[in-house]
Amino acid sequence: MRFLTVSNQILFIYYVLSNLIYLGLLIVAISRNVRHHHRLGSFRFELIKASPFTPPITLIVPAHNEERSIVSSVGALLGLDYPSLEVIVVNDGSTDATVERLQKAYDLRTARILYIADIATAPVRAIYRSPVEPRLFVLDKQGAGCKADAINAGINAATSPYVCVVDADSILERESLVRIMVGVLSDPGRVIAVGGIVRVLNGSRVVDNQIEQVRLPKRPIEVMQVIEYLRAFLVGREGWATFNMLPIISGAFGIFQRDLVKQVGGFRTHAVGEDLDLVIRMHRRLLEEHRPYHITFIPDPTCWTEVPTDLKSLARQRARWHKGLIDALWPNRDMLFRARYGRVGWLILPYMWIFEFLAPVIELVGYVTIILAMVLGVLSKAFFLQFLLFGYAFATLISIGSVLLEEMTVRRYANWREVARLLIYCLFEHFPYRQMTMVWRLQGLWQYLRGDLQWGTMKRVGISANPSQATSHE
Amino acid sequence: MESVFSGIEKLGPAGLVLRAILGSLLGIFLLVGFIVLRRWYRARYFRRRNERTAALRAQWDDIVSGKIPPQDWRFDPLDCDIVESILLDNIEMSAPDDLPPLLNCLRVSGLLDMLIYEARSAYSWKQRAALLALGRTRAREAIPALAAGLDSRSAETRIAAIRALGRTAIMEAAIPILDRVVEGRLDAPERSVKNSLANCCRSHPETLVRYLEQTQGPTRELLARVLAELASPELGEDLLVLAADTLPEVRASAARALGNTNTSYTLPALQSLATDPEWFVRLRAVVALGEIENVGKIEILLRSLCDANRHVRQRAAWALARMEPQLEQILEDVVATNDDYALQSFISELERSGAIEKIVGMLAGSGDHSMQTTLQEVVERARESVGLSGKAAAAAAGTH
Repeated sequence: MRFLTVSNQILFIYYVLSNLIYLGLLIVAISRNVRHHHRLGSFRFELIKASPFTPPITLIVPAHNEERSIVSSVGALLGLDYPSLEVIVVNDGSTDATVERLQKAYDLRTARILYIADIATAPVRAIYRSPVEPRLFVLDKQGAGCKADAINAGINAATSPYVCVVDADSILERESLVRIMVGVLSDPGRVIAVGGIVRVLNGSRVVDNQIEQVRLPKRPIEVMQVIEYLRAFLVGREGWATFNMLPIISGAFGIFQRDLVKQVGGFRTHAVGEDLDLVIRMHRRLLEEHRPYHITFIPDPTCWTEVPTDLKSLARQRARWHKGLIDALWPNRDMLFRARYGRVGWLILPYMWIFEFLAPVIELVGYVTIILAMVLGVLSKAFFLQFLLFGYAFATLISIGSVLLEEMTVRRYANWREVARLLIYCLFEHFPYRQMTMVWRLQGLWQYLRGDLQWGTMKRVGISANPSQATSHE
Repeated sequence: MESVFSGIEKLGPAGLVLRAILGSLLGIFLLVGFIVLRRWYRARYFRRRNERTAALRAQWDDIVSGKIPPQDWRFDPLDCDIVESILLDNIEMSAPDDLPPLLNCLRVSGLLDMLIYEARSAYSWKQRAALLALGRTRAREAIPALAAGLDSRSAETRIAAIRALGRTAIMEAAIPILDRVVEGRLDAPERSVKNSLANCCRSHPETLVRYLEQTQGPTRELLARVLAELASPELGEDLLVLAADTLPEVRASAARALGNTNTSYTLPALQSLATDPEWFVRLRAVVALGEIENVGKIEILLRSLCDANRHVRQRAAWALARMEPQLEQILEDVVATNDDYALQSFISELERSGAIEKIVGMLAGSGDHSMQTTLQEVVERARESVGLSGKAAAAAAGTH
């Protein structure tokens, strides 16, 4: 009985604390967003593009069996509005016609260009260049079974001081690179990595690999993910970035100082969450060397990506994310509560352990003990209902806050109906969707403990098989 | 009658939870209300703005010529805002000949005075917006107000003032920045300062040289970097002085600047910089050599191709691989160096530029069969050895 009472009290405190932290992040994020948008008013992107001091960027596109969309994706990337761009597609042991499609579209020729493996990778079989598009290089490497290895190969071949990793199946907005570089250009000496926002592509109208009309997807499971992404990026990342504690820059869209990535050994091969792992190692390295740095997040450069449309794929993705989280936290556990790692060791990493990694376990224990306490009469039904209602209302408040941030920043959902739908779905995010994700995350934890570090596959609609064809992701 | 709140008080801890629930629900309603109101207000505002913009555009010539007196639009905040933004857009896009009537409209209507007043006396975002708008006017009388912004205590305001001065693209606008930079009184991101100076000094880079003479350390490096972007042959011997500077960054900037000035002294100066003890100075010199049109550079580049630093080697190879008419001779010279790293770098760059097929074709059609066979073998061997991955390539490309 005593155990149940204490357990329920701990759960209550845990839940309130978790939501209070997010509420704090929401307030910080709103203030930071307002400041960022005022600041943007003083930027003229044309001047950045024309400036001789704007640094070049290499886009690294790891591609594994992307024959359906690779040509249109590369076409869109080459069409990005940035003055000095290099695109390196890394074919990571594809078994389909990814390279052949590129060869045909860009008249690729084998080029025996000096490839220096500063970061060890699986062997590169060939390097191709295109006589029609000199900014494009294609690395054909043996598959290593992980995206990190492909990215590392791209980093080895990159010639620009900044590298931007982009998923082959994602869409970058035309101005996204100039916009993300605002983060670097504001303080090039200190800003070593910048993350942009990743948003849900499903439901939108895509023409020639560019978003023509942003719309909400129809399936509830996809709309839930829209809210999740908005909250994670506009509230979580924006908030943590304010205090220079950003723990992750999405693998789908972010820029990094190339030399620093090389210094930390590149993306960890076979890491399940290679993006999270890299950023934590960058924090570690720079804090150990007492170098001033900033890892930041900018809310307006946007990358659109497809999210799972069926429960099975979503469950696999969430399990993988949780495995990735543990896989990045565990090797860096020595950073916890160590003075030399400052706020990263004292705040963000403990937060991730307690409120991210342990969250599904604590939630599960909570559900079990609450039900037991009710059955045994330790907990009154009224209090139980009140607690549930409070938890639900507080969490919904945060979700609606993230919709507000979307409204205040980029405001991509133009009509009233879509905003109303988003707001209505906010009411369902914390029941039953949250409980479903808890189960998937527990599956991820179980798989990790069993040593199952597979990525799994995701059923995709595909951006566009035909570059000129308009595709609606509905 | 007992109030609702005293009823909640009586609930004890449960009352606290109830208050939390009510607080959360109130928060939800407020947020939703704010989103709805904001949307409604924006939709209404932009509809009205679009209508007024269309109406004002229809009368634009009369507004600019003064046929429609400024007081007709000046005292309506929305109209004034629209006219100001159209005027500034037109000023930015107009050719010098079309500028006087627009500037006259700005002056006569009092808009310019208003912006100057706001830039001097407003605070926060309003002041920054006024500074940036003033910069867009390209009016000389705006410079003192913009210069005053450089002394603001707010970093954001200082940056806005620097950007605005840069936007004027007038030589005089660079002076307040340069004065403060030289005196060490300007605390602002280097990139903003460099861009603004580059914009303002584009037609008079010699002004930068004057200031460079008065500076030392990081300030000297900053000004040298700007100068490197703007250098022209008229700068003459000033660049040679910089090429012999004690600061490596300044020498590197001088190398870059020399790349824009193909004169009699360019090649000897770059030759000297290509043997500098600092690798990045050598690198800049090699890059600059790649940009000038002079066959005399081949010899210098061939020496740089055997440099101890791989970046210098690679860049020298890049420059050599783009000298198409002389490629066959260059290949012979590269082979004659007996430096495998140099050969690999050169072949790699030939592959990158696409010239490798041409050179292979040239060798096949060459008259001297023994030389042809030897070179073909060497090229094939080198082609085999580049493109390696893993440790072998890293070793091959390493410093020797």
